[in-house]
Amino acid sequence: MRRVSSIVLALGLVVGLGVWGCRRQDAAGEAGGRTRLVFKYQPLWGPPEPFRELLARFERENPGVELVTEALPNASDLAHQFFLTSLEGGARDFDVLVADVVWVPEFARAGWIADLSAEFPPERLREDFFPGPVEAVVVEGRTYAVPWYLDVGLLYYRTDLVPRAPRTYAELERFAREAMAKTPGLQGYVWQGRQYEGLSCNVYEALWGHGGRALSEDGRVLLDDVPAREALAYLRGLVERGVSPATVTGFSEEESRRVFQEGRAVFMRNWPYAWSEAQKPDSPIRGKVGIAPLPTVSGEPGSGALGGWQLAVNAHVSPERRKLAARLIAHLTSPEANRVLALNYARNPPRPAVYQDARLREEAPFIAGLLPMVERAKPRPVTPYYNLISDVLQSEFSAAVAGLRTPEAALKRAQRQVDHLTGEGP
Amino acid sequence: MKRPGLGTALAVVAFLTFFLGPFCWQVLTSLWPDGELTRPLPSHLTLENYASVLWGRPFLRVVLNSLVVAALTTGFCLTVGAAAAFALAKLEFRGKGLLLSAALAVSMFPPIATVSPLYLILRTVGLRDSLVGLALPYATFALPLTLWVLTSFFRALPDELYRAARVDGCTPFQAFRQVLLPLAAPGLATTAILVFIFAWNEFLYALTFLSTPEKRTVPVAISLFASEYREPWGEIAAASVVATLPLVALTVLFQRRIVSGLTAGAVKE
Amino acid sequence: MNPRGSLARERRQAYLLVAPAVLVLGGVALYPILAAVWLSLHRFILVFGERRFTGLENYAYLLGDSRFWAALGNTAYFTAVAVTVELLLAVPLALLLQKAFPGRGLLRASVLVPWAIPTVVSARLWAWMFNPEYGVINRLLPGQDINWLGAPGYALHAAILVDVWKTTPFVALLVLAGLQGISEDLYKAARVDGASPWRTFVLITLPLLKPALLLALLFRSLDAFRVFDAIYVLTEGGPANTTETLSIYAYKTLMRSGDFGYGSTLSVATFLCVVLLAAVWLRLLGREEAAR
Repeated sequence: MRRVSSIVLALGLVVGLGVWGCRRQDAAGEAGGRTRLVFKYQPLWGPPEPFRELLARFERENPGVELVTEALPNASDLAHQFFLTSLEGGARDFDVLVADVVWVPEFARAGWIADLSAEFPPERLREDFFPGPVEAVVVEGRTYAVPWYLDVGLLYYRTDLVPRAPRTYAELERFAREAMAKTPGLQGYVWQGRQYEGLSCNVYEALWGHGGRALSEDGRVLLDDVPAREALAYLRGLVERGVSPATVTGFSEEESRRVFQEGRAVFMRNWPYAWSEAQKPDSPIRGKVGIAPLPTVSGEPGSGALGGWQLAVNAHVSPERRKLAARLIAHLTSPEANRVLALNYARNPPRPAVYQDARLREEAPFIAGLLPMVERAKPRPVTPYYNLISDVLQSEFSAAVAGLRTPEAALKRAQRQVDHLTGEGP
Repeated sequence: MKRPGLGTALAVVAFLTFFLGPFCWQVLTSLWPDGELTRPLPSHLTLENYASVLWGRPFLRVVLNSLVVAALTTGFCLTVGAAAAFALAKLEFRGKGLLLSAALAVSMFPPIATVSPLYLILRTVGLRDSLVGLALPYATFALPLTLWVLTSFFRALPDELYRAARVDGCTPFQAFRQVLLPLAAPGLATTAILVFIFAWNEFLYALTFLSTPEKRTVPVAISLFASEYREPWGEIAAASVVATLPLVALTVLFQRRIVSGLTAGAVKE
Repeated sequence: MNPRGSLARERRQAYLLVAPAVLVLGGVALYPILAAVWLSLHRFILVFGERRFTGLENYAYLLGDSRFWAALGNTAYFTAVAVTVELLLAVPLALLLQKAFPGRGLLRASVLVPWAIPTVVSARLWAWMFNPEYGVINRLLPGQDINWLGAPGYALHAAILVDVWKTTPFVALLVLAGLQGISEDLYKAARVDGASPWRTFVLITLPLLKPALLLALLFRSLDAFRVFDAIYVLTEGGPANTTETLSIYAYKTLMRSGDFGYGSTLSVATFLCVVLLAAVWLRLLGREEAAR
């Protein structure tokens, strides 16, 4: 018995320590005459100081406001789940939140994020930002969020193994084969074939490359058509013909990057983040990597999938706080803030004008050089139903690239389910 | 102590390899320089990951939070559960079967569907974003297991003990506290470990109910390590090793209790 | 004190003793479950901004939903294989843990390590080891590299392996607790009768261990049937939903698609399946108790 009680004592001690260590924190709201503004965001990767300074500047410019940041996991699904639970529960304990490109229509329709059209009229957004992200944040003619930074799919290639970046799919395959013939054990093309959102991005890029479109004129999600079939057949064919390893069906970004960075692949499809990793001092491929727009059938530069994050205001907070929150968004999405994020965190500015900035061109030539790809970036189907259908897309695309179903069968199934979900028949 | 036979020795080695192998790999990974992770073996080892976990991120605070939540949950579960389990096993009253099956039903619901309603409850009673508020649902969902294990433990104790105590003038409660509870110590220790680790590992509720960075628990803190695409695998490994150590220590503390418990003659008829 | 007064008093104290447990279960657990059941009777999809009562419509759709049946199949397979293997490993492990031999303390502490690592992390750890290109498992295995998480046949079994690794200690602990309840005298008697260790195990240990085994089986299969984190981290249900379990389907419907109505229906359906499973175990457990 004595041992049990000593254990209980130890546990009690731990609890006591913890409770003593917990200083009570006020929920968002007025505290000591200062307004606490809470910003829910996902940690940026890099040195914390520049971002902190950016936030501190807002506090200096708005005396009486105390800015608090609360981090969310970067995993998109986890953040989405957090917002679904808390916003559905009417949470008022955060004011400004980050939203993925595909969430804005959903949150807007649910009445969770505030209409920002007064502060950020859609026309002005269209003048200042790239069309892709604007399309994602304007719902039925009203602004519900402001683009913060964006992301785009790219082709990475090894400058020491191939003569130049391939423009067509055929060229990519030929270059890959030539390099593979010279170096045994080398892989041709790595991309993301695991069942997850990244696969949908890869498939849509191939679909655009085959001249396809994500949506019909009247807004129906197009899946069961020739370009989509060709796109899936092409991706599956890469595996079957040995240009891509069979294991690519289990890859997400990091798996592909690690293989490529180790020098074991000629080509890789990935996001811009892989660049700085490839250029690290201990990277075996440092200085041997080039980037290019994705190839296409025709040889025209291809479109990468658009990713990235937007800032929105929690609709449950009071009008005064909304005003402050909108001011914070204006501060965080200004050209100056775009520059801070680009220079320190390699986040791509959503404003074309920033790419012309002399300092950016000098200090972050890689980002400035992404302009042609960013301009051509396309969003996955812009429909408020995207979250509803993405699940179907992922599993059917996965079935096709893993060779479980033919592209025809997978797309027929996908089309049927998507039409059912969105309530549209053929 | 007898010398173990060859069979025993082989089995021990096999189990140790299976259970500890991946963990050892994790320890090795935590010492591995990041750039070399894809190679078969590292060229050298480094403590960099530990330095960044312990000093770069306030990870010890996070471990303390987890300890607090798990300890609260365990304490609460054992107190409430042992009392109820004793009554279920030794006392006569109506609705026993109903209570046991209702408790079981609680642990049959997929947790994901309970997150939103629980969020509302905790917000209403003002316990959202507090460690106590997190321990409450943990204790609730760990209670069924506690009830069942402890009830079967109390049942295994002979009724004579309880009756003798009653004849000596104990109230049922006194008989429980002074006679049966000490004998159930191995069961309590087993349950304590099960509940403690359940609370230690839980992720979904912790992610949703806690928002202040100072209150984060271990699984949530580790989930924040990764960027959108990048995964600092060495740091995650280091953090999980740091987070596993207190548990191993606790286990060592508890495990002697688990097995050293009953002396056959005193308890068995 | 007359016996009837004593009985009434005992009953009063019994109610007092179970009251906190009842309060907690009723107060915290009941509401979420009822709320989910209520939601499952609605068409409630966030992006459509609509919420209306539709009665059993969701359940009618469920019966014809091939994805639901596929997920149910995966879940049942996962549960059956994982729990069987765990039990088969846990019994010898528990017997070993009870024995006295040098290094027993080390073994006892170390078997709990897998269980003590948060699932979110341990599943990543395994994903890392399963990596087909540079993971340690393919390096150790001879022959061709296996595409553990990207090939339909392998992925579910990889998930089962992770679950076995992680939860065998849990089962072993429960079995060990059961072993503690078996009197040493019985073994002594068996030794006196000259029974072989195997016969002792089959004739004495196993029958007496049955309640503990069934209890472990009960709680493990309830947990395995609701498996989520491990598989979600490993494969997200892929490739082509071949590792999608009921909980993953429910999670995706609720939290990814924002379809709270049908997502709740899936949760309730999972719950009903688990209730059915538990009823079977409880019958066995009850028969065991009655026989004693």
